[in-house]
Amino acid sequence: MIYLVIAYAFAVALLGGYLYFSLRQLRELTPRRER
Amino acid sequence: MSSYVKAAAGAVVLMLLAAGAIFLYAPTDALQGPVQRIFYLHVSSAVAAFGCFAVVLIGGVIYLRNESVTADRFARAGALVGVLFTTVTLVMGMLWAKPVWGSFWAWDARLTSTLVLWIIYAGYLLVRRLAEPGRQAARLAAVVGIFGFIDVPVVYYSVTWWRTQHPGPVIVSNALPPEMLSTFLFTMACTVALAAVMIVIRYRIETLLDTKQTSTEPAKVLASREPSGLAGRAR
Repeated sequence: MIYLVIAYAFAVALLGGYLYFSLRQLRELTPRRER
Repeated sequence: MSSYVKAAAGAVVLMLLAAGAIFLYAPTDALQGPVQRIFYLHVSSAVAAFGCFAVVLIGGVIYLRNESVTADRFARAGALVGVLFTTVTLVMGMLWAKPVWGSFWAWDARLTSTLVLWIIYAGYLLVRRLAEPGRQAARLAAVVGIFGFIDVPVVYYSVTWWRTQHPGPVIVSNALPPEMLSTFLFTMACTVALAAVMIVIRYRIETLLDTKQTSTEPAKVLASREPSGLAGRAR
């Protein structure tokens, strides 16, 4: 059971973390008038 | 709220629905117990990674044919997201292997070819990061991306070509009960949708980064990227 929890926790952290940071980077790069 | 944030929110909702199907709808495997539920995202991530690497392949071919900057940006985005999903596949597979096989890793054909796939596309990203941005880096990366794709069918058919510790194909051989199969297909569709959203967002980031670079170093970038631009006129 512990391996199941670790596996999904890892996937959520990696994919969720990437999605969050890419949206943040996109916001920083987008010119204010286009937001 | 921008359309990118809306798309990301939609993908997250789909993944939450997939989690509901995995943990609440799909039956527990009689032999392996709850740890078998790793299967759904492990295999779906591999399918999503193959799709991302297909984007790199198509982008690379188009770039080599007509030097389309759009194709190159899609290839860059596909490689990054593909490496991400291959990492998920490898790590989830290792965490599934430990309770079932007794060890995290076995040097069998499926695992080794998947690790090689990860190394190839991590190398692709390294080329893009370390090389001076321009035509030469894009052409070299396109070649790496095209030849790297040869490993995708090797990964897929490794379980039938060689005797492996990794199980053979269960989807095409109808080895899954209907509830497990429907959960898998739904999770796969949601994961592919998430990968597509990630590629589109990354494509936009690459476009903005290119624009930023062009505005800071216009002459240098134009000379390296446009064959008929400043470099062409200078020749």
